[in-house]
Amino acid sequence: MSWRAEAVAVWAFALRNLQMASRNVFFFFELLFWPIVGVVSIGLMTRFLDLRPEETSFVLIGTIALSVVQVCQLEVSYAVLFDVWSRSVKHQFLAPIGIRHLTLGSWLVGMVRGLTIFLILAVLGWWSFGFDVLRPGPGGLAAFLAGCFLTAWVIGVAVCALITLFGNRAEAFAWATANLVLVLAGIYYPVSVLPGPVAAVAAAIPLTHTLDAFRAHYGFAPLVPAPTLTGLALAVAYAALAHAAFWASVRRARARGLLLRMSE
Amino acid sequence: MLAIDARDVTKTFRARWPRRRETVALRGVSLQVPRGSIYGVLGPNGAGKTTFLAICATLLTPDRGTVTVLGLDVVRDAARLRRRLNMASGRPSFLWSLRVDEVIAFFGRLYGLSGRRLRARVDELVALFELGPYRDVPYHELSTGIKQRLALAKALVNDPELLFLDEPTLGLDPDMAIRVRAHVAELRRRHGITIVLTTHYMREAEQLCDEIAFLKAGQILARGTAEELKRRIGLGDVIALRVTPPARGLAGAPGVLRYVENDGWVECTVDDAGTRLPELLRRLDASGVEVRGVQVREPELEEVFVELAR
Repeated sequence: MSWRAEAVAVWAFALRNLQMASRNVFFFFELLFWPIVGVVSIGLMTRFLDLRPEETSFVLIGTIALSVVQVCQLEVSYAVLFDVWSRSVKHQFLAPIGIRHLTLGSWLVGMVRGLTIFLILAVLGWWSFGFDVLRPGPGGLAAFLAGCFLTAWVIGVAVCALITLFGNRAEAFAWATANLVLVLAGIYYPVSVLPGPVAAVAAAIPLTHTLDAFRAHYGFAPLVPAPTLTGLALAVAYAALAHAAFWASVRRARARGLLLRMSE
Repeated sequence: MLAIDARDVTKTFRARWPRRRETVALRGVSLQVPRGSIYGVLGPNGAGKTTFLAICATLLTPDRGTVTVLGLDVVRDAARLRRRLNMASGRPSFLWSLRVDEVIAFFGRLYGLSGRRLRARVDELVALFELGPYRDVPYHELSTGIKQRLALAKALVNDPELLFLDEPTLGLDPDMAIRVRAHVAELRRRHGITIVLTTHYMREAEQLCDEIAFLKAGQILARGTAEELKRRIGLGDVIALRVTPPARGLAGAPGVLRYVENDGWVECTVDDAGTRLPELLRRLDASGVEVRGVQVREPELEEVFVELAR
């Protein structure tokens, strides 16, 4: 496949997700309503608990990360979910494309939506609760967003693999997985408060280190000496694993007839 | 030259949960489809028609056997093969809120079309299938017939050399079904596309297909042209006679395979109408029965289907 054809196939999925989102009322809830409700309610809770500004920042960073990862991950999962819901799975797997086109196209839209949410929530956090989002500087911000988006890609692709493996029964993973990962990664608390074995699992999650790296700019000590690098390296490794899992599950679906059962 | 060369294809679907189940869909199917032909795959529900098409279209991998499509192996060369084929089914389904032209354009992009070429292709297919008035209508608001036409348009977006049509006129009203059949015939005539179609409508198969294969329980029971199949099944010719009073003595006449009385007509299925008709008329005349009308027809493919599906 030429680079041009590669780009066109990726763009096909990106454009399709945008078209679907633009005609979906839930898009508004996903993009604005729930994230804003999250930041406002958590921000008010920090006031009630009379937290120091650094502690408020700590909690708000987790809240913003939660929204960014969730929205971006859902968009990646839509790469397969839209077709499962409309029972048209076979058409895209009949075309001469690879799973990279599905996931990359959807991820691009997910990143745009995630970035939009990040900007809205950062402004809201600053205006309402004095959260200084610019303190880590452009490099810190970029690393934070990259960590969130890569985590979202890993979760989204893993969800695509599960749906292709188990069919509609696995749909709930699309909403549940991100929450589970985020709880383990310490969105509202340092992972040191988790029980020993759970904390060990948390240390293997890239987002844990992404959050640590960002929070280090607000005076909180990270788990490991180079959290940004650790987070990104883990995310890239999991991304490769998730991609391999998705590839294998599509192959299995072709062997077991699941692509047909999820179509027409 | 063969478009499809399938040898000894076997496929079994296995489920382990919630209960263990095994369904044998294809049992050693071998089938050769010549390039440029319209080939019909007929059979009752669950015969394995869709499974066979899905294997040829690379959507499913066979358990055993080899399938070569357009000279490429469906498992080893699947990625290359997908550029050259496409598929439409009688129960089409696309993303609910995409509009007609967006559906075609989306699939066009998956086949590498972009910019002016993509726009031209979308316009061409919209015009070919008379989808102009529905261009901006979301998929979920389309009628069954328009959805079917859109499915055909999508299936042609990559200018395929081989097209699989899985019950393309299912659920269409007669007028729309005739138009879809006309489109299919036109595709072969103008573009030389090889078309493999499954259908339950015998008239459709008889009208469109150069050759037909009958599948039942995952096996090919018969294949050939419609005429060959009728002859091979040995249903014979049908002689319909309008007689008064009803004639009783024909059932035992030589060469009469079946005898049915219906509303003043008697229908005799005979081995050969040319030989048997004079004899039947002589018998009727001898027993004083007046013959007011005679019709001779060949058996219909539907009768062949019923016979084979038994």
